[in-house]
This record gives sequence, C-alpha cells and structure tokens, in this order.
Amino acid sequence: MAKGSDVSRRRLIQSTAAVAVVSTLPQYARAAGSIKIGMPLPLTGPVAGVGAQMRRACEFWAKQVNAKGGLLGRPVEFIISDTEGNPATAVRKAQEMVERNGVRILTGIAVSSEALATVPRLAEWDTIFVSGDNGDGRLTAEALVPNFFRPNVSGPMGTRAVALHLRDSPMKKLFGLGMDYAWGHNSMEVFEAECKRAGKNFAGAVFSPTGTKDFSTYITRIRQSGAEGVYLVLSGDDNAAFLSQAKQYRLGEKVQLLTELIDQMTINGTGDATVGLIGGSRYPYTLDNPVNKAFVAAWQAEYRTPPDMFEGDQYQSCVVLQAGIEKAGSIEAAKLRAALEGLEVDSIKGRVVMRACDHQGEQQGFVIKIVKREGMAHPVPEVIATYPADRVTPPCNKMVYDN
Amino acid sequence: MDLFPFLVTQCANAFSQAALLFFLGVGLTLIFGIMRIVNFAHGSFYMLGAFIGYTVAHVTGSFWLGLLLSPVLAGLIGTSFEMGLLRRLYRRDTSAFLMVTFGLTLVMGEAIRLLWGVQGLQLPLPSMLAGIVFLFDEPFPVYRLFLIAAGAVLAVAIWQFLERTRLGLLIRATSQNAEMVHALGVDVNLVRSGIFGMGCGLAAFGGVLAAPLVTASLGMAANAIVDSFVIVIIGGMGSFPGSLCAAVLVAFVQVFGTYYFPDFAIAAMYLLMLLVLAIRPGGLLGQEA
Repeated sequence: MAKGSDVSRRRLIQSTAAVAVVSTLPQYARAAGSIKIGMPLPLTGPVAGVGAQMRRACEFWAKQVNAKGGLLGRPVEFIISDTEGNPATAVRKAQEMVERNGVRILTGIAVSSEALATVPRLAEWDTIFVSGDNGDGRLTAEALVPNFFRPNVSGPMGTRAVALHLRDSPMKKLFGLGMDYAWGHNSMEVFEAECKRAGKNFAGAVFSPTGTKDFSTYITRIRQSGAEGVYLVLSGDDNAAFLSQAKQYRLGEKVQLLTELIDQMTINGTGDATVGLIGGSRYPYTLDNPVNKAFVAAWQAEYRTPPDMFEGDQYQSCVVLQAGIEKAGSIEAAKLRAALEGLEVDSIKGRVVMRACDHQGEQQGFVIKIVKREGMAHPVPEVIATYPADRVTPPCNKMVYDN
Repeated sequence: MDLFPFLVTQCANAFSQAALLFFLGVGLTLIFGIMRIVNFAHGSFYMLGAFIGYTVAHVTGSFWLGLLLSPVLAGLIGTSFEMGLLRRLYRRDTSAFLMVTFGLTLVMGEAIRLLWGVQGLQLPLPSMLAGIVFLFDEPFPVYRLFLIAAGAVLAVAIWQFLERTRLGLLIRATSQNAEMVHALGVDVNLVRSGIFGMGCGLAAFGGVLAAPLVTASLGMAANAIVDSFVIVIIGGMGSFPGSLCAAVLVAFVQVFGTYYFPDFAIAAMYLLMLLVLAIRPGGLLGQEA
C-alpha cells in the first residue's frame, strides 16, 4: 500500500516536471531573440522599498522601449530575483542569471556592499553592470573594474552637494549618523573631509547596523554631541524609523537634520517627521527641462503618482544603457564598454557624460528642503540649490574633492 | 548632558524597548510551551498586526480601535491556520512545523506586499500620546512611557491569567503533560488552537505598538523573528517569566551596549545569548537542559 502510493507520487512528480518543461519550451524559443537584462535586487528586507522603486523604473523603461520595437530590433526583457540585500546572495543570483539565463547586462543591484561583491566577477562573466543607485565612492575609484558603469549620483556626490550648501550656513559644529556598511562609512568620510575644508567642527559619527529598529540611543548620542546639525546617511526602513523617532524626541528643534538622500516613499511613510529636513536628492521630479517633463507626464499616466527619487535615478541609468547599446549596435561587453565610455546623453536630469576615466556619470547635484504645501497630501521636496556637474563630480578615480 | 539625567533617559529607553521585545517574545514562548513547536511565522504576524492596525486606524480614525482589533484579527487568522494546517502535523517531527510555518512567512510577506504595497506606512499617534515630557530637562516621548506602561500591564495580565483562571490552569497543565490532560477529558486540541491564536495576537499587538516607531513596513518580519527567538532562548523555552526577564535584559544590553560599544551594536545581543547558554543551557528560567 505504502509502496503503491509512493510510485504514483513519483509518477505524478515526473509528469508534472514533463509538463513544466514542455510548457516553457515555446517561451524560450520566443525569448531567444530578446535582450535579457539581469536584475538581482532586494525585494524583501530593510531596503525592499528601494528595490521596488528600481524594479518599477526598469519595467517602465522596458515597456517604453518595447512599444517602439525594442532595442536593435529585439525586445528587452528583465530577469528579476530577490537578493534580500545580502552581498553573497546578490553574487549567487547574478551568477545564475549569467550562466543559466545567458544574461550579458546587469543592473538593479541596490546595496553598495552587494555591488562591491559583484564587480570583481564581471570580467570572468564577460558582463556589463550598469549601476542604478549604488552610492559607494570606491566603485568608481579603487574598486573600479572596466565593466562597471555608474550613471547615477554616487554617495560622495550627494554628500558634496549638501556640503557645498553648508559652506554658506552659520552652523559650526556637525555630527554624523550613517548605516553601518560600505555606503554609510564611505559617505561619512567624504562629509568629514568636506566639513574640515569648510572650516567646520566635525564632532564625530556613529554607525547603526542595517535594520536597526530602536534609534533612541543614537538620538541620545546626537543630542550629547552638542552639534547644531547632524548628517544622516540612511535609507530604506532605517531612514523612516530614525526620522519617526527623531520627531518623537523633538530632535529637530535643537539640531538641524541633514541627509544625503530622502525619497518620497520615506516622506509619505513618516508623515510630518521629514518637514524641515535639508538634504541631497538624486532626482527631484520637479526638475524643469523638456526631457524630464515628458518623462514625468508619461510616468503619471502609467502609475498616477510622480516618479520617486530612485525611480528617476534608475530610469536615467536605463536610458544611458539604451544609448550605449544603440551606439554599440551590440550587447557584447567589449563593444558596449567602448560605446558607454565618453557617451553623452540628454537625460531627465540634464546632460549626463559617462566619462571614460572612471565610468562615473558627470551630472548636476541638487539640494532640497522638505516643505509642506497647500493642497498636497504629503510634504514635498523643494529644490533649494543646484550645483553644476564639475563642482559635484569628484576628480577621476577619487572620492575626495580638490576644492 | 549630566550623568544622572543621561542614566534616567537611557533606562527609560531600555524599558520601552524591553516592552516591545516582551510583546514579541511572550507570544512565541507561550506557543512553544504548549505545543513544543517553533512558530517561524511569528515575525510575520507581528508585521501583519502593524499593517492591520494601520488600516483600522486609518479607516476609523482611532489608534485605539486599531490596537484592539488588530490582535483579534491576527489571532483569528492564527487560530484558523492552526486548525486548518498545523493540526495535521502533530504526529510528524518538528521539521514539518518549521517548513510549514516558514512557508507561511513567505505567503504572508507576499500577501502583505500585494494588499498594502511596498511603501512604509505611518501610524499616527493620538494626540494624548504624541507629546513629550521632560525627564530632568531631557525631552522624552510620552509614547515610550506608554509602551513601558503597556508592557507592565500586559505582563501582570498574562501572569494573572495563567495563575488565576481555569483556562490558564489548563494551559499550564497542557504544557506539562498534554496526554494526562487529554485523558482527564479536556479537548487539548482546542487549548492548542486557542493558545496559537493568542500567541499570534500578542505578536500583532506588539506590531501595532511598534508601528509608530518604525513605520509599518515589509522589513519588519525579518528582524522580529530573530529578536523573538533570542528572547525565548535566553528566557528559557516556554517560560513566561523567563521571556519577561530576557526582554528587559536584552533591551538594557542593546541600549547601553550601543552607547558604549557602538561597533558591537549587533553583536551585543548574541554575546548575551552565548553567555546565558554557556552558564544555563536551558535559558534563564528554562527547565530542560
């Protein structure tokens, strides 16, 4: 009896597997001509919100491209897989995409530590990785590999914009709170150097582990530092948790909160806790240029909300990739790399130049302030300063600025 | 900041954190005490609680209604899960429970993503809890004091429930010898379903109360499950007073550890767990070694 049921179960599994194989065959045949772009990204965990934005931007771009007949006459297809924000998982998922799905282009890897773990493998995989949001300055400095490109704003660039703005501020003493991984430490180093250059007193920094829920001790530290301003390098759930709790402790009444980045998702998720915050923005959707206006209109027609910060930054990376593929006429790594080097694109953020020396996209930097506006359900970012590309982009292969 | 106000503030921070950890740990330890199973989906019920609490508070405009209804709904979902699925697994070994409850975390995570989206959601506080008080000239949120009070009230309530009520007696008896209780004519299955739902409800209660601090978000479950396991292991599997002691201990180690040794913020909790396990392998108040 037991044996009989076992056999029938095995047969069931076999036939199910057979059906599965047969039903996927035509799909493979159809997709053989498509350009497959691998997107390992965090869909769960503390940075899942960032991953979701990047995914939506890619899907929006793919839809636009495919509606116009694809790239090089081939449809664009994204292969998406969850990394949970874990570097080891990100490398494994990327490798699977390269080896199993025949992917030759990667994007989406959201967390800088994931990107730092992935880039050493790109040569062996013969694959190009176009960053959509990776902040760590080292990716275009000491950790630069030939197959890595960063059309988005880096952490040092975001920090630099805020630091330039601070030069005119009366604040003298500053403190820092960053996430305890590659990006947080890297941006804080840049901020410290910029503070010293501007003649400010940098009173030190603390780093909170990714996924921290209780920020009370960090708030105590900030208060004790006696600083007039605190620079935050936080994103995802950690950013939302810190800002909510900082408001409950009335921290903003004593200390000006400054941040490397703040997205609308966090603003909406924390109510009024972000009002008064000054920070960098990688992409404020209110930018006044024709390319951006067309993008925002198309986006709003599709999703009925304005594009968020990581959505805009990832979309720009997709557009740069698109221009590179069209120029190269191929997705082969060597040809695509040559095409991307020195490429100039009129993007939603204005002109972006993918400089050849370190593969960083030169572009403008923005400083925003979160304000409440009549008739808007949530607070909104208002651009208070814009800096030209040559002031926010660091010298080639560097993370520190000359002036 | 002087030493005394600093210590008072930090202790208040630690007790408010202990309350949140206690809500998480106590549900898991109750379930383990009765059923000898590890509910991997505990963190997901905590997260579900936060999202349901958000929706109820948003629709009715009342934080309190959210705090009340969310545990009830999550408890009902937990009970029906136990009746529909877990009950069939009692004759199997524990790995079956691990797999099924782990599967439930995946299902719940996706369901919450589909229903509420990926954006973190803010649960606004009622005005009576939104203010601050001054502890020796240092501002401290009223809400955190409320958390401490809620933790204390809940601890006393559960203790009285277990010690004084007939159902509490049955729960204690079932945890000691389920077969004997069954032989005495008590429907043990019903006790199990009830306690599973209660454990899930307690997790949801903690989730609603945590939401104003961390926003209701998809990342809530992953950390919560680890924290609650640590509480249960330090306190002793299945021990209610153990989970209370463990929550306070872990919170103090986290709050003061993060202050004095910020580089070891994550490690502090695990070092404490190693230390406790080395001295008392069954946990602080656990019976089995």
